[in-house]
Amino acid sequence: MGGTIEKVMVYVDGTEQSIAAAKCAICLAKETDAQLLAVYVVNTRALVDLVHAHIFLESERSDYLRDLENDALRYLNHVRELAARKGLFVETVQRSGSVHQEIKSLVEEYAVDLLVIGELPRLQSRRDELYDETERAMRRVGCSVLIVKDQERVERLFETLP
Amino acid sequence: MALIELISRETVKIPLVATTKPEVLRELVEFLYESRRVAEVDRVYEALLAREELGSTGLDGGIAVPHCKSDAVRSLTMAIGISRKGVDFNSLDGRPSQLFFLLVAPPDQTGPHITALAEIAKITKARSFCTTIVAARDADEVVKLFRTE
Repeated sequence: MGGTIEKVMVYVDGTEQSIAAAKCAICLAKETDAQLLAVYVVNTRALVDLVHAHIFLESERSDYLRDLENDALRYLNHVRELAARKGLFVETVQRSGSVHQEIKSLVEEYAVDLLVIGELPRLQSRRDELYDETERAMRRVGCSVLIVKDQERVERLFETLP
Repeated sequence: MALIELISRETVKIPLVATTKPEVLRELVEFLYESRRVAEVDRVYEALLAREELGSTGLDGGIAVPHCKSDAVRSLTMAIGISRKGVDFNSLDGRPSQLFFLLVAPPDQTGPHITALAEIAKITKARSFCTTIVAARDADEVVKLFRTE
């Protein structure tokens, strides 16, 4: 059956969990011949909220924005290198804004079949304020979502992938 | 690591004994050092002080959010501290600060650092919740306030 999964998008935020998700997405894309897209969202929404909350100074917003943009380049390059090791091309996209909204928009814009994300927090909170952005994205996107767990197994799969 | 995963009895200190801003910062950093979450007290303490020099992290409503980047931590690290009497933290409203969310992040984990601070920012707006936290008897009670069973 061709075309069950034609386009895979992996969300990368620099966490170990998201890098594991990227490796899993690479394995999946290689096995299904799917196109692969890696995304990093510079969380400018959070930066604005932090200035409004007086937790950040305006100068901090600029500093952290620069750091986030550098992180975006670094982690997307890393995913590109990981994919290249397995002979795969990955299209990388950097966006800015609210994380879950940008992920949802990108899924629609690129007609993604499968969103791959890293493992969500194992602990649940009573508080709505501690609602994970990635979890929020998972609930709102219109495509299927793969939550990657068992990082050790993913690592083994990736290393043995030709 | 999500903020919820940083909240445990090992990272909540009640009550704080410190009576000044520098003492609060040092007490919380030493607390984190005791549980090996911070590799070196002085480096983190100096980084927090340097951030306070730029502008106090004391908000209104008795809450403060001291934060910094430091390579003396390997991952995002947080301590919650509660002062029964309150400490002068040069806060926005001039009131003493009783509830402290201290956050330290490695320099290369800006994304998770921002996310955690943004979550703390939302919590600080839930004033009745913060009042409940300040009234908690011990660290276990604070943890229960945040987590589901």
